[in-house]
Amino acid sequence: MLEVADRPASTDTDHHDAPSAPPRDLKPSMNAVNNWVPHDLVMRDSWFPLAHDHAVGKKPVRRAVYSHPFYIWREDGKAVASEFHPLEIVTRDKSPFTDARGRYPVMEHYGLIWGWFGRPEAADPAHLPSLPFLPPKGGLPKHMTATIRFDCSAPISLENLIDLTHADFLHADVVGDERSDSEQVEVFYDSETITMVRTLVNKSVAPIMKFFSGIRQPTQNVRQVIRIYLRSHCAIAYGRFSPGDDVPLFHPCTPESRDRTRMEMVMNTSNAGRMFRHVMPKAGYKVSRQDSSMTNPQSPRYMDLTPRKDLHSRFDQAGQRYRLLMMELANRQDAGDFDYRDNVGTDCSDIIGLRKELFQF
Amino acid sequence: MASPWWKVARSEEVTSAKPLAVDIGDQPVVLWRDAQGIARALEDRCPHRRAPLSRGCIRDNGWIQCGYHGWSYDGETGRLKDIPNMKDEQKFPPVYKAAAYAVAESGGFVSVNLDQKTSAPAPVAEQTFPLGGTTVVGLSQGEWIDALFDDPGLVLNIRGVQPTPYLMSELREEDGLLVMERFCQWGKLHYPSYATAEFPITLITRTRPDTGETEVVLRDDSFRTLLTAQLAPVQAARGVTQVRWRAKLGDELKGRHALALRRKGSFEVRDAVDAAALRVLIRSASHHGQQLRDKLLSAPAVSGPSVSEPSVPAPTISAAA
Repeated sequence: MLEVADRPASTDTDHHDAPSAPPRDLKPSMNAVNNWVPHDLVMRDSWFPLAHDHAVGKKPVRRAVYSHPFYIWREDGKAVASEFHPLEIVTRDKSPFTDARGRYPVMEHYGLIWGWFGRPEAADPAHLPSLPFLPPKGGLPKHMTATIRFDCSAPISLENLIDLTHADFLHADVVGDERSDSEQVEVFYDSETITMVRTLVNKSVAPIMKFFSGIRQPTQNVRQVIRIYLRSHCAIAYGRFSPGDDVPLFHPCTPESRDRTRMEMVMNTSNAGRMFRHVMPKAGYKVSRQDSSMTNPQSPRYMDLTPRKDLHSRFDQAGQRYRLLMMELANRQDAGDFDYRDNVGTDCSDIIGLRKELFQF
Repeated sequence: MASPWWKVARSEEVTSAKPLAVDIGDQPVVLWRDAQGIARALEDRCPHRRAPLSRGCIRDNGWIQCGYHGWSYDGETGRLKDIPNMKDEQKFPPVYKAAAYAVAESGGFVSVNLDQKTSAPAPVAEQTFPLGGTTVVGLSQGEWIDALFDDPGLVLNIRGVQPTPYLMSELREEDGLLVMERFCQWGKLHYPSYATAEFPITLITRTRPDTGETEVVLRDDSFRTLLTAQLAPVQAARGVTQVRWRAKLGDELKGRHALALRRKGSFEVRDAVDAAALRVLIRSASHHGQQLRDKLLSAPAVSGPSVSEPSVPAPTISAAA
């Protein structure tokens, strides 16, 4: 069940405190977000998007989840994933995450190949995140897909994403600056997801829309949604621009290692104009570099507990909640509880405000 | 905990023609070969007037002779054997000796143990790595290893290989070694690594926690080994590091870039590290490297395979590491 984040972030101004061990209780308090060590979070029993379907053929491609090797190839057209390369002379033990043959559970959906990291017997297609703007059987053109890497841990990359105020500064040349008549942020969450809705009235028009969508008005109303599936580190970034286009982006942050993130991005711009449809997905290359310029030096600073607390503004509510939810989930997994208490596969069209008429499959 | 064996020279550097001066931290050591061709190591300090023995010469009988007053020492025991001005009195008390260190030779490296009571292990491997070199780097050994972990391209030059910031597996413990695998690209003309879906090669490093000896393996995406190198970084005096290395190419090289490795100079340890690039290199893999090293070193006994040719006993650790 979704809950609404109805209380403000801690306004504690004493941002120095004695270092303490991360809370081990299953329901840490909001203050626990200052003990955020994303480098130590390892999520299990989850589907991770590993490759675009067009990237996998007969020859194995290499992927990793938390440094565990995934070699993926097709046998009789069907994707398989193994922890051993077919040509490898096996000298290491099989991990507990694969079956007797060293194979991971794998499935193909939304034009992506998903690998299950966790107990193989718990793999269930029902735990696949809902992405209602992507055709279930894939088929979007390649120019709407890309592989992009972030030089930081996956949770830091997702915290960056759910904090959209950074975009007005770091990505102002792509998505526009901070000027608007009003800005409202709402946060909804359950044990497996967090959704942030940011509504802006009369925001300065995104330069990329000005140049490639032909928006002539000086301002536009914007509704931006970020929805994160905590376990799989997958996110939806859905922007509705008026005037302008609907731009839903699948933004997974697969933790290849605990300090580097891989994004098998899919942006469904099918409904946008021809120029924008081709250009907008390419903006990811630029935006990701801008993000990495900040998150890369951030990442080692979140590898250890520190007595220095982070400062927060009221716009960080979603980010703080994200930290807390991730810590709760990690604590629960540490205690041996891997159950899904909320269903990530339920259609989230209403939650993200998807204009379904634009995305019929 | 036992004192570690330091690979302080390549076999061909130690001769019976001229003494070789090396150091392990601030400890100077002189190496040479005696009349039987056995590598010997003494403290590089004549007990008479503290002159470096490495400034002297090797006599036909295999003793090392100080260049200052001509005192000669036996390499096996360090005992004084001869004083030129005392031809009539050539029997000296046992305290008349230089500090002798245990020496081991295997796999094309000469190793020294600073613990004088340590007995040398039997050689266990032939030298099969035809390429080799010695590089002196203006970095401490710890910083050099950290740079190797965070950006191997700063300290190694492998023809046509561009290391990326992306790891197939992050630094971890495996059989008592610190192991990681990094994605690499070929050549200079390619998409930026952050926008690349598949990488053709990886660089695997296996590092001993005590000595920093590292085995480097370059492997392609079909699991073919293209190159194997052994690196022996030893902390030397004045904060510099001496890196001895050996390398060999894989048996099966396929593709233009892999075949180019056959050309001369396909592997080297850089003698100059780009300090400006190093200063801004974000600590990533190395961040937990020291913690991991400390954990391994404090373990009661580290067993398992040694990196490179096993010229030294199974890694056991010294506080001097």
